[in-house]
Amino acid sequence: MDTLLLARLQFATTTSIHFLFVVVTLGLVTLLVGMQTAWVLTGNPKWERLTRYWGQLYVINYVLGIATGIVMEFQFGLNWSGLSRYVGNVFGAPLAIETLVAFFLESTFLGMWIFGWHRLGKGVHLALLWGVAITAYASAFWIMVANSWLQNPVGYEVRDGIAHLTDFGALLTNPSLGMAFGHVVSAALLVGGMLMAAVSAGHLIRRTPDFALFRTSLRIGLVTAALAITMVQGFGFAQFGPVGAVQPTKFGGNGPESQALIAEWTTRFGPGDYTPPVLASVGLGFMILIGFTLGCVWLLLPLLFRDWVIRLRFPLWLILLALPLPFIAVILGWISREVGRQPWVAYGLLPTEQAVSPVSAPLMLASLIGFSLLLGTLAVTNWVLLARHARRGAADPALGRPPAPSSEPAHPEPALL
Amino acid sequence: MDLAWYAALGLFFASYLVLAGYDYGVGLLLARGVGPAGRREALTALGPFFLGNEVWLVAAMGILFGAFPLLEGELLAGCYPAVAGALVGVILVTVGVQLRSRPDEERIRARWDRVVVIGSALAALGWGVLLAALLQGVPLQADGHVAGVTHLATPFAAAAGLAMVALVAVHGATFLTLRLPAEAAAVVGRTARRLVPVALTAVALTTVVGLLSARVRDAVQRPAVAVLLPVLLVAALLAARAALARRRPGWALVATGAALALPVLLVGAALWPYVLVSTTDPDASLRVADAAASAPTLRLLGWVALPLLPALLGFQAMCWWVFRGRTDGRAPVYW
Repeated sequence: MDTLLLARLQFATTTSIHFLFVVVTLGLVTLLVGMQTAWVLTGNPKWERLTRYWGQLYVINYVLGIATGIVMEFQFGLNWSGLSRYVGNVFGAPLAIETLVAFFLESTFLGMWIFGWHRLGKGVHLALLWGVAITAYASAFWIMVANSWLQNPVGYEVRDGIAHLTDFGALLTNPSLGMAFGHVVSAALLVGGMLMAAVSAGHLIRRTPDFALFRTSLRIGLVTAALAITMVQGFGFAQFGPVGAVQPTKFGGNGPESQALIAEWTTRFGPGDYTPPVLASVGLGFMILIGFTLGCVWLLLPLLFRDWVIRLRFPLWLILLALPLPFIAVILGWISREVGRQPWVAYGLLPTEQAVSPVSAPLMLASLIGFSLLLGTLAVTNWVLLARHARRGAADPALGRPPAPSSEPAHPEPALL
Repeated sequence: MDLAWYAALGLFFASYLVLAGYDYGVGLLLARGVGPAGRREALTALGPFFLGNEVWLVAAMGILFGAFPLLEGELLAGCYPAVAGALVGVILVTVGVQLRSRPDEERIRARWDRVVVIGSALAALGWGVLLAALLQGVPLQADGHVAGVTHLATPFAAAAGLAMVALVAVHGATFLTLRLPAEAAAVVGRTARRLVPVALTAVALTTVVGLLSARVRDAVQRPAVAVLLPVLLVAALLAARAALARRRPGWALVATGAALALPVLLVGAALWPYVLVSTTDPDASLRVADAAASAPTLRLLGWVALPLLPALLGFQAMCWWVFRGRTDGRAPVYW
């Protein structure tokens, strides 16, 4: 096994695990913002209980999102030093901005939000969650800016074999960015909505207490999922135009534009196989199939009338069983986007084989096995904990639990009111 | 421009070691046999600060990638085992602390706490070895790549890694002395004072091994700065001990924090104008100016970072202010 293949396998593994958690983060935090805002505006304790229950699941999920995200960040330097050497001047900028503008504040806000219940004023506490959500979206945006640059390098010039930034605005107006960002964000909302609907369906099937609570979150989840799947489909099909224009080889090398581009690459970089693996098209096909299937969520919306969706029971089972589908679809979507970029790490600019670090194959193999086992184990553990907490219900989540009454003198005052 | 960004990189990484340093110190001290309640109490003391601490590492890595892309690739790939080890440690701590209290069974929580102890040790060890690798030079070749990773295996790197473990342990114990309720703080304060001589010994050992190492002597560009490092470290540790003895844990924490920031700042200064000194080919050594991104990138990042910095520091300061003081029965418990 050569270093290149091992490094690519490691990137695929880490990215896939990372993505399964960050879509949930992005989707759930949006719904949480709605719930906590409703609580602050109406004062209805139902919304507080919903915020605590779904907030706890959100926080557990967030753990693996960060852990895998840190590995992603280090992986660029560890395994892909050529990427930073040749295109770091351009590609590094949006990643640096992401860490400073988005991630730094997101985690700082979240720490205060988790520990701020009963301690901060309600308005400040809510503002923190809004901060978490806004920075989460900013994070997704800058990561997509960086990724879109790899799909379609723009705003640079090559001097002495190294890319230099000439026009940062071009990175923001990149044709491969806009629709893709909308697609990813809608997919996150779809995952968040489906997760909320499925967990609620589980409770309604088992007839656990808190019928009213899970009835509400089932409705929120279903409506969110329905709106989101339509946006996912819209942004998805809207991508065919721009992607076809800037990456003609993405879904096969037979069209006239692909042939012309491959001929140009052959003169510039020498002969080689410039068509991406067929996996990219296969991934795309299955993703679209799942996308159409999930469109059936709309059929369930009329059943919200008079709670038929709950009374008929079988729709609840359908929702529960459909939960893996959006997760599979988002992974297939990434496979199609990333594998379709091969054999380039930056399309038409830097071949993947030139980007890999000059590290020995045994070291790379040890790293692949070590990190895959570590992250895989942690991911499974995390899902087990998520499932347990989802199943346990909303009776008394640890998140936002009021402090036990104590004989010691109380803390002087809530620090910010 | 590149000096400003080099300073920013140093400040963010040093802040990371100071802030996450007490996370790892508290993590190590979970092994001190205080029982389930004592361990939970220690993690509650970390509580609201924990998530805001490790973001300094992520931001430092962002600056490294954005402003010093060439260095990012060569440093990380060239010191692969040290970086990967630190990374595994960081992951274990971040996951362990946040998930350990989600299961209800005390047995499983104790198992997670062992994960945190191991992770804390790995993280400190890894960063110590990485700093030592900078100070002892790397086999950077004319093609710009570091040859192999066996250059890390030196007594100096091992001593520096262990010294870092000792430093974070002192720092963590001092943090707990400041944060825990008075009774528990008195106990952990004694632990902190007993750990200071251990850290002093580790620093002394590292100094001696470093002075004996020809690689370190050759790589260091400013010997005066390099000699200042252990002197200031010893001074900071003695100051911490004195402050602990006088029941001034706040000042003690400033001193132990300085002991974690100093290595980063002084290693950077001792190597200046280089950042990677080659042990095999003097002409291949990498200057800070050559490692930096080109001017348009640095300018862009400057326009983004400068207005943002007050917000970053302001929200961190808000977190410290809101949750200041000793933990008590009303402190929110989540980790």
